[in-house]
Amino acid sequence: MTHANVAAGRPFSERIGHVTFLLVSLLLAIIFLMPIVWSVANSFKPAAEALANPVALFSKAFSLENYRRLEDVGAGWQIYAMNSLLIAAGTIILTILVSVPAGYGFSKFRFPGQSLIFVLVMATMMIPFQSILTPLFLILKFLGLQNSLFGLVLVYTTFQLPFSIFMMRNAFDAIPAALVEAARIDGASQWTLLRRILMPLALPGVATVAMFAFLNSWNEFLAALIFISDQNKFTLPIMLVNVSSGIYGIIDWGALQAGITVTMIPCILLFLALQRYYVRGLTAGAVK
Amino acid sequence: MARLELRNVTKSYGIYEAVRGIDLNIKDKEFVVFVGPSGCGKSTTLRMIAGLEHISGGEIVIDDQVVNRLGPGKRDIAMVFQNYALYPHMTVRDNIAFCLEQQRLSKGEIDKRIAQAAETLHITELLERRPGQLSGGQRQRVAMGRAIVRDPKVFLFDEPLSNLDAKLRVKMRTEIKRLHNLLPTTTVYVTHDQIEAMTMADRVVVMNKGLVEQQGVPQQLYFNPVSKFVAGFIGSPSMNFLPAKLVTEGTGLFVELKDGTRLAIPEARRSRFASAGGKDVTFGIRPEAISGSQERPGWVPFHANVELVEPLGSTNMVYFNVAGDICCASLDSEIPVTAGAMLPVSINMNQMHLFDLETEHSLLCGKAA
Repeated sequence: MTHANVAAGRPFSERIGHVTFLLVSLLLAIIFLMPIVWSVANSFKPAAEALANPVALFSKAFSLENYRRLEDVGAGWQIYAMNSLLIAAGTIILTILVSVPAGYGFSKFRFPGQSLIFVLVMATMMIPFQSILTPLFLILKFLGLQNSLFGLVLVYTTFQLPFSIFMMRNAFDAIPAALVEAARIDGASQWTLLRRILMPLALPGVATVAMFAFLNSWNEFLAALIFISDQNKFTLPIMLVNVSSGIYGIIDWGALQAGITVTMIPCILLFLALQRYYVRGLTAGAVK
Repeated sequence: MARLELRNVTKSYGIYEAVRGIDLNIKDKEFVVFVGPSGCGKSTTLRMIAGLEHISGGEIVIDDQVVNRLGPGKRDIAMVFQNYALYPHMTVRDNIAFCLEQQRLSKGEIDKRIAQAAETLHITELLERRPGQLSGGQRQRVAMGRAIVRDPKVFLFDEPLSNLDAKLRVKMRTEIKRLHNLLPTTTVYVTHDQIEAMTMADRVVVMNKGLVEQQGVPQQLYFNPVSKFVAGFIGSPSMNFLPAKLVTEGTGLFVELKDGTRLAIPEARRSRFASAGGKDVTFGIRPEAISGSQERPGWVPFHANVELVEPLGSTNMVYFNVAGDICCASLDSEIPVTAGAMLPVSINMNQMHLFDLETEHSLLCGKAA
């Protein structure tokens, strides 16, 4: 039976409710989508139209001029995009490498001080990132990792870990103990157990962790601004600021919209690709 | 060849003793069923045999080798879990192959064994499906396939049928028994369902409060329970228990119920109870040992005030009041009976049991106090 048939079979009041629900949802979707559509549309306008009055959402003239001008900002947007990509990839990989075994340990093993250690790890989530930037700066300087992409990856990973460990513990908790026992009886080693049984089942959790690691490292601004001084190592958010505060503080709106579009697209694509896992990952362990 | 021996095996969680010292010898190819109520320690014992729980004391021996310190994968055992524990992301074939891959068998050998096991369990057409696409009964078969494909020394079953509906449970019960006849392997089967225990076991081990209460062939447990617990646990519906007193009058020995009703103990059984004369006891009689009025030696006529009738087809479960206690009788459905009527019945005193009021041990075949 199709959706329309189901709706047609309902009483009138219920159909009115259904239509109202759809209209309200549509309105909300438009409100949320508008800034994205506006940015993307503006990024393809010729520069002259960016500040035109009255404002038109779409222009008849299609132009890549804004994107071309983005290449003149600093070292060029491709360099910044590559830096952002490297940092995001590094943060994802490192976060997964640490949080998966940690979550597995907290979920499936019992050891002295387990609850205390877990609470301590979780408690670090309460420390505002900005409040420890100075000590972090000193530590990175001491390690010789200041002004290095890897140093930034380490910082992002550190702040990503509490939430990721919590996510992974929940993901492993949701896997029935009998599966682990069955695999142990089947003769699986800890490594085989993790690789072949638990990881595939905890994949929604891993996807969620990866997505958060990506979004947070990709969009992060303050730490990148403070720890990186070499213009060739800047990330996309820093580039956006440079676009918006160009020579004499004149904002190049067209190029800024192009920059925003470039920054936004990977986030949207990744979210769409992983959203199925992401929702399952967040609700894992909520109910048995 | 695989003998399994439990030597004074104990398991404690802090101060709580879940298993309080079990000694058991399981012969090669024997089908042993652990049965008992929730919390009696049966599953814990099974999990200790599997190596999934550390044992607090004693020894577990498989074929003369103490396996206390061996991991579950090294004990050469296979286990079927209550919820099947099939790997949901793998196909049936991969589920079955997993344990063989861990043994590093060749691909050809793995394929051969899977084909054999699948044929035995009639699951060949399911091999490429995932567990989520199977019914409860099919999952159960796959779980068994995963167990038999290893050709293990010992099979362990942890309440494998409790997730199935009543009809399928009966079918799978027969299936497991058929499988055991086909591939005779030492088997330990845990259940709380005494019917499963009685129908499947070569030997039933009744557990209670972390101890073995009684072990023996099913008939022995049914006819000669050593305690009130075993008598009440084995048999469905459960044995009737009535408070009573053993009284002697002349040469006769009687069970005197609370309301003064006297039931004569047959001459052949008197000598066994003579020493307990005058003692307060619990009188036990199975519903099957109460019948429509009959004149036979050892049967005592009785008038029952019927309170409830449960028709089961070939028999009726008739509940009646005896001296303030409710008793159940399994009567032939041809005997006309209605609630509220007085019904003449006979009690087969050849099959009655007497239990010590304090120790609850059987006065007929009780264990040493």
